[in-house]
Amino acid sequence: MSELTTTERIGLYGGGALLLIGTVGMGLLEIVAGAPHPVTGEGQIVHETLISLSVRSYTILLGLVLLAAYGITNLVTKPPKDTSI
Amino acid sequence: MVTNIQTQLLGRDVSFPVEESRFAYWLVVMRLIVGWWFLHAGLDKFLAWPFDASWFVGGAAAQTSLGPIVTLFSDGILLSFTNIMVPLGQTLIGLGLIVGALTRLAAFFGAFLMTFFYFINGETGGWAHGVITGDLLGLLIFAMIATLGAGRVLGVDAYLAKMSVVRDHPRLRYFIG
Repeated sequence: MSELTTTERIGLYGGGALLLIGTVGMGLLEIVAGAPHPVTGEGQIVHETLISLSVRSYTILLGLVLLAAYGITNLVTKPPKDTSI
Repeated sequence: MVTNIQTQLLGRDVSFPVEESRFAYWLVVMRLIVGWWFLHAGLDKFLAWPFDASWFVGGAAAQTSLGPIVTLFSDGILLSFTNIMVPLGQTLIGLGLIVGALTRLAAFFGAFLMTFFYFINGETGGWAHGVITGDLLGLLIFAMIATLGAGRVLGVDAYLAKMSVVRDHPRLRYFIG
């Protein structure tokens, strides 16, 4: 992992960071600063969100797209390092 | 035996030991369970043929963040393509993981399909159970299998890896586990 190029860093670290921000980061923010989170008998979490759910969706989606782009770029541009085969 | 994974992350040494037998065992367990999950989903659709995905790619997906792309597949030849490729893809992904054939390729397409299921199921349900759903965890397990590769552990990829076509074209190693 030490020989990553800038593009690879954007894909791996940027994608991972966006995925974590969308799930853990925004989730933590909702717990700390958002409205109360009552849970219904069906286990549904009912509350007004601090950050729009579509913003959260797009953040996670962008993270996954960056990670996929990293994987595909890696496949196209570099031969596999695994020489055991 | 224990292998020391020597690597760096964010510029820091994060080397750690992994017990190999448990690692191999766990890779196979994950492959079999996730593989059966998809093989079952695919076979069920074939057994109840015809399969019609229009409610999902047309109705359900329309108001979601993936709507602009997915609704293109809601009628005509692209819907027919979807109606075949979803069950066929699920069946092949499941088979690939269970027998360990083209494992990384199967896991990549598993993660690809789960991306659609995750956002469309989640958004149409208003993320009522939170954004960490079974679909996201499924996606992450596919990503983990694609990253680690697991097909050579009691799998067909061990034989595919020895084929001359793979030796002559090293990039094919990316598709097998």
